[in-house]
Amino acid sequence: MSDLDEFKVTYFDECSELLGELEEIFAVIELGDRDSARINAAFRAVHSIKGGAGAFGFSALVEFAHGYETLMDQVRDGRVSMSDDVVTLCIRANDLLADFVGAARSDAPLAAEHGLAEKLQMAALAEGQAIDGELDDFDFDFTPIAVDLGKDEAETKIEVHTDQFADAPSTDLDGQWEISFRPHAALYARANDPLLLFRELAALGHMSVQAQMLDLPPLADFEPFGVYCLWTISLVSPDLTEAMIREVFEFVEGDCDISVVRLGEQTGTGENDVTVQVAISATDVLDPNINDFLMLSDDEIGAMIEFGEPDDLREAPLVGQETVGASIPQEAIAAGPEAGIPEPTSAKPIVELADEGDRRAVGVQSIRVDLEKVDRVVNMVGELVITQSMLTQQMDETLRTQYTELVRGLEVLAQTTRGLQDSVMAIRAQPVKSVFSRMPRLVRELGLKTGKTIKLEMVGEATEIDKTVIEQLSDPLTHMIRNSADHGIESGAVRLAAGKPEAGTIRLGAEQAGGNILITIEDDGAGINRERVLQVARSRGVVAPDADPTDEQIDQLIFAPGFSTAEAVSDISGRGVGMDVVLSNIRKIGGSVNVRSRPGRGTRMTLRLPLTLAVLDVMLVQVGQSRYVVPLSSIVETIQCSRAAFSRVPSGGQVLHVRGEYVQVIDLAERFELDGARDAESRFLVLCEAEGSHKIALIVDDIMGQQQVVIKSLEENFERVEGIAGGTILGDGNVALIVDVQGLKASDPHRTAA
Amino acid sequence: MTGLRILTVDDSRTILAMLHHTLSNAGFEVFQAEDGRQGLEVLRTQKVDVVITDINMPIMDGIEFIKAVRASGEFQSLPVIILTTETSQDKRDQGKAAGGTGWIVKPFDPEKLISVIHRVVH
Repeated sequence: MSDLDEFKVTYFDECSELLGELEEIFAVIELGDRDSARINAAFRAVHSIKGGAGAFGFSALVEFAHGYETLMDQVRDGRVSMSDDVVTLCIRANDLLADFVGAARSDAPLAAEHGLAEKLQMAALAEGQAIDGELDDFDFDFTPIAVDLGKDEAETKIEVHTDQFADAPSTDLDGQWEISFRPHAALYARANDPLLLFRELAALGHMSVQAQMLDLPPLADFEPFGVYCLWTISLVSPDLTEAMIREVFEFVEGDCDISVVRLGEQTGTGENDVTVQVAISATDVLDPNINDFLMLSDDEIGAMIEFGEPDDLREAPLVGQETVGASIPQEAIAAGPEAGIPEPTSAKPIVELADEGDRRAVGVQSIRVDLEKVDRVVNMVGELVITQSMLTQQMDETLRTQYTELVRGLEVLAQTTRGLQDSVMAIRAQPVKSVFSRMPRLVRELGLKTGKTIKLEMVGEATEIDKTVIEQLSDPLTHMIRNSADHGIESGAVRLAAGKPEAGTIRLGAEQAGGNILITIEDDGAGINRERVLQVARSRGVVAPDADPTDEQIDQLIFAPGFSTAEAVSDISGRGVGMDVVLSNIRKIGGSVNVRSRPGRGTRMTLRLPLTLAVLDVMLVQVGQSRYVVPLSSIVETIQCSRAAFSRVPSGGQVLHVRGEYVQVIDLAERFELDGARDAESRFLVLCEAEGSHKIALIVDDIMGQQQVVIKSLEENFERVEGIAGGTILGDGNVALIVDVQGLKASDPHRTAA
Repeated sequence: MTGLRILTVDDSRTILAMLHHTLSNAGFEVFQAEDGRQGLEVLRTQKVDVVITDINMPIMDGIEFIKAVRASGEFQSLPVIILTTETSQDKRDQGKAAGGTGWIVKPFDPEKLISVIHRVVH
């Protein structure tokens, strides 16, 4: 039972993927791409879902999937055209299929009429009828029926026969069958082998085989897969039926001439005659010159072909012109040598294969691994990185000159560790496609709900990003797209009046930029209504009444907690708990959100996300007696304080004038209440870029270098600290805190709106 | 008969998992591929005694896969069992025409699967 449950887990996992695939396929098909490869892929997805469902006996799911599959099969073959109606039906069917999968998973059967209308429509289409409402008279039946009249008839007859003559006196020939069997070349071409058939026949009863050689060519002309032999097999067993014999030949039917005759019945006529002669190929009439009868054991033939000198045998037929008879007992067949007539030659490639079997290469392209196992490796590699850098730091000059080999070894170790780390991180990476693929459906639904026509464009779906990040991405993306559809994109009439195309476009993009992944959600809507935003922000106290924020700052206000500008709260964007949740979710995974809006032209939101959550490239800085690390990805440049141009601002803070820009300055010693170096001139400024390309400058006492650190969560081990993103263990075993640049800026007491 | 090396080719992980379960319980060594192309890849590097393949697969379907196997010369006598569904008789025939040795209908009965394998392997 547990095996079955395990399969079920695999199956439902697979179903989720296939359903996602279907959705994706139809999102493209809906846009007018009716490429046959896509339709084929859709067919396969439905087919796979049905296949697995059959294995577990999910009959409702099988039934629905079967109807859908049948329709897709017709579409694939061009018998049903992929009209818009059909596309709509299929999209609906995808949802229903998901319902049926869900029902099977939770073991909660759906109502009988669930999806019935669609089933009928699909059946009608597959039957070549147009979609219409009048489906009542349609005779609906999806149960697949296996029809094999010939065989069933034969079996029935045998039964009738047995009933009638069960008590009749039996003759000597009772239970004796004679089978003549002549393979075609096709039989060998499909890797079937008469010997295997005989082996199986031998298991049915006492068997004797007579081989009859056809024209045998000289050995030099001998075709390994040629047909040089036919056989007459006699089989004795009291309870044998023709069906049992036929079953042995099931796979070679059509690839051979075969007749099965029950001895003693040959002359029988009339309705109860069970002698059946079938599958005689018209193209392969028996050679009239058959005069060589031969019965050789496999050993003999094998020996002849293997040891005979080709020169000696070239002119003479391979075997003599005499008839040899032999009876092959059951055991001999079962334990017999592996050489059938064509075997000595055909066995050769197998031997070669065996030699090649030593090559260690695995053809399977991917494996599935429990994420927990990967995380364990990631963690251990993290520890390894720390140990490695600890070792490197222990090397002083004396040791370096003394132990050159050791130093070289450590250098190699450092390189390998770095490589190992990169590779392990790559394991966790997944294409963003898995999240993006859910969005077309969302946009479709939003379009229906809002009555707007919205197109979704996606680029960069193959961009890879850490799996944990991906998992955290779905909710923020959904929210932002909802926001765009609800607030950003105008109604069709408004758009037309503004000289824009009636259909609005939401563009979803992903790209890698250095150590970050940028996800952009862009719409060509009305842009952010800054006047309104500011008004609301003021009325809610988010912004001081006298402050005069810049346009960019106003745009950023939509992420403020409890903020919503929707004049009428809709069920799409929610109730004002939208964008601030987005921001906090993104921050949680070490990312940032930036919004840019152009009135009347649209809004672009950019999520900047770390490639991986586990390891960070940092700059190590000294502040007082403590060391801090600043994420390298946020550092723009470092400047010596003695060379920097500071100005005081009325609020008491400092700003830095750098390349025509005023940058807010935060003294980390002051901020974290540490004893910083008193000599201001020897200190350094670390210029960082925060959200929305806003810069801040951090004053530190010294810069100590760059390194990679493994992030340890403070929240998990202690509690959240403002301005600190986490902790890390340095090479010497000491703990350093990771500076949260964005958080520092937000919490700066000197922050002004300017 | 145990110790046979069997290549299973199917784009459904469920089917692959079930085949693996049945076959490895029977003492066989199982290789897996998710489409024909991967299947050929395995054949290039591993010695395999039997192939069990699905028909409907992406990239390279079962029919093409069987054709490629038979065309390779090296694998003319490699038994290939087709996995079919009850309703796709034509697919089975196509698979057979391409060079399939035998077939088994999905969802398969484990005992039947083993007996089919025995029927096509020495």
